[in-house]
Amino acid sequence: MKIWIKKYSLLLPLVIWLFIFLILPYFYIFIQSFFETDSFGKTIPGVSLDSYYRAFSNSLYIGTIFRTLTYAVLVAFICILLSLPLAYWIAFKVKKNKTVLYTLIALPLWVSYIIRAYAWKIILGKEGLLNTFLQWVHITNKPVEYFLYSTFSTILCLVYILTPFVAIPIYTAFEQIPKSLIEAAKDLGAGSFATFRKVIFPLALPGIISGGTFALVLTMGDFLSPLLLGGPNTLFISNIVQNLFGTSNDRPLGSAVGILILLLIFLILAIAARTEKKYSSLKSDAG
Amino acid sequence: MRILSRICFTFLLFLAACDTSTTTNNAADTAMVDISKLKGSNLNILCWEGYAEPAFTKGFEDKYGVTIKATYFGSSDELISKLANGGSEAYDIISPSTDVAGDIVAQDFVAPIDTKAISQWDSLSQQLRNMNDVIKDGKVYGMPFTWGPDYLIYDADVVKTEPTSWNVFEDPQYKGQVSLWDDISNIYLIGQTQGLDKTDKAALYNMSDAQLQSAKAELIKMKPQIRKYWATAGELDNMFKNKEVALAVGWPLTVAHLNKEGRNLKAVIPAEGATGWIDRLMITSGSKNKQLALLYLDYISQPENMAIVLNAINYNVANPGSERFLSADDKKIAEASQFFDKLNFWQTVKDRKKYNEVWNEVKSAQ
Repeated sequence: MKIWIKKYSLLLPLVIWLFIFLILPYFYIFIQSFFETDSFGKTIPGVSLDSYYRAFSNSLYIGTIFRTLTYAVLVAFICILLSLPLAYWIAFKVKKNKTVLYTLIALPLWVSYIIRAYAWKIILGKEGLLNTFLQWVHITNKPVEYFLYSTFSTILCLVYILTPFVAIPIYTAFEQIPKSLIEAAKDLGAGSFATFRKVIFPLALPGIISGGTFALVLTMGDFLSPLLLGGPNTLFISNIVQNLFGTSNDRPLGSAVGILILLLIFLILAIAARTEKKYSSLKSDAG
Repeated sequence: MRILSRICFTFLLFLAACDTSTTTNNAADTAMVDISKLKGSNLNILCWEGYAEPAFTKGFEDKYGVTIKATYFGSSDELISKLANGGSEAYDIISPSTDVAGDIVAQDFVAPIDTKAISQWDSLSQQLRNMNDVIKDGKVYGMPFTWGPDYLIYDADVVKTEPTSWNVFEDPQYKGQVSLWDDISNIYLIGQTQGLDKTDKAALYNMSDAQLQSAKAELIKMKPQIRKYWATAGELDNMFKNKEVALAVGWPLTVAHLNKEGRNLKAVIPAEGATGWIDRLMITSGSKNKQLALLYLDYISQPENMAIVLNAINYNVANPGSERFLSADDKKIAEASQFFDKLNFWQTVKDRKKYNEVWNEVKSAQ
């Protein structure tokens, strides 16, 4: 009994923390989603499904949730494509200074998000570095407007911000693969690509999935990148939620949309967890 | 526990003592006593961008040894949202426009202003002082500060001929060079270009569902022309600065800021007219610094300080006496704005939620 208490008492700070800062707020949001508002935006406690009805009946909310999901899948996919060769190189090709390279991946995280987003404005603007360069080498003869204030720049910034979150789990997954398995594959006559496709990739899949999930979930919740770099057509669901809370002052509807996003995220996480489990054969086989 | 309650009791006694001491003294004395006590305190202002420029706040800070901390709001809705979520205690002074001022007074977010403590009160524009949306039960809740139009701003280096109509925004020549404000006011703008306010100015703020849908369609049609919807005046400044846009809806401060840096921006009121705003300064009901806030109102309404405001942001100011203190250039700006009666000043929008939803639908349209 005593040992039991001792063992779990270590968890207590975290449990309290999560309860106050995660469970309670979500619970409050959940309750609030059933409230109503007066014309001035003051919430009136009650049990009403009005907000959910509005969230479902107007494509502005449901439509934007799914469009954001599409963007999120795209961001996650590009992040994975960029991370795979990078992580592969550090894990298998580099012999010296692995830790330095590993730290370099995480280095951009030390700089504030907003500063990094603004940096893209300097690079992508009409008179930005990229456009100036392209005109200087005569690839284009006038500035390409689509570089900045577009869905392109928004996605680009998100990929840039989120790649470390994807590369690190993938790298970790690569590192955990026993070298003997790779040697065995080579002994059996598999080339580098075949080894990657048939041995490394399946074994690293849990890491790839968890990295991709990071990027996907974080994109679903991002509103800064579309706000700073998006164009007139770029609207993520978080921008709408932020607008509902901060501008329209319709907190019940904001909460209802928030709950819908949360459910969608839970669904994604559940699918990711199941897929991860399905492919994490490494531990049982080689462990 | 006993000690704690004793401390509390002593504290309450102390508070009570302070309270009686201020109420028994006459007004002049309180002011004298308080001013020295105010030193080192903060005055929190929640305002439109441009309303806390060091050019005019510094003098106040130096005079009273206080610090002005400004927070900008990007839209009237943001102001309301901040007030409704506790902002009435967090800020001392706010600068609402005519579209929400009445609501803010009605909702008791602000405290009545002792106009006697504002030495220039009677010199402020009578027309602005007498607006009854901020007068409740005979008490005044807002001090006129500035007014101005939602201009059509253009970069005269790009747009060579002066635009005479808002439809220049739809000119294919300026595709991707237009910026609108990320706000429901675009709906008023479209309503105005459709002539809805010809007979009744209030029509823009009470549009029917059909009119809103028509405005929405028009705004969606305009989207290919738009570079970005600006969220703050500073963002618009930056876009003009980096030559990302050549045409925009905006306020005089953008022209003031950019032209001080040697650019050639111009502002016009097109033939269809323009909407406008009258901004009042108000003291929040939850302010813990009402005395200092009132001192600021007194300070900023002085003609010489109003002249600095006009110089810094090119807004029309509420004290006509400021004219004596204007430079020749600033005088021209003041004289050029003889259009008070022509503007359709923002009014309360009864169904702001609907307007906001329509505006979000415009933004989400692909």
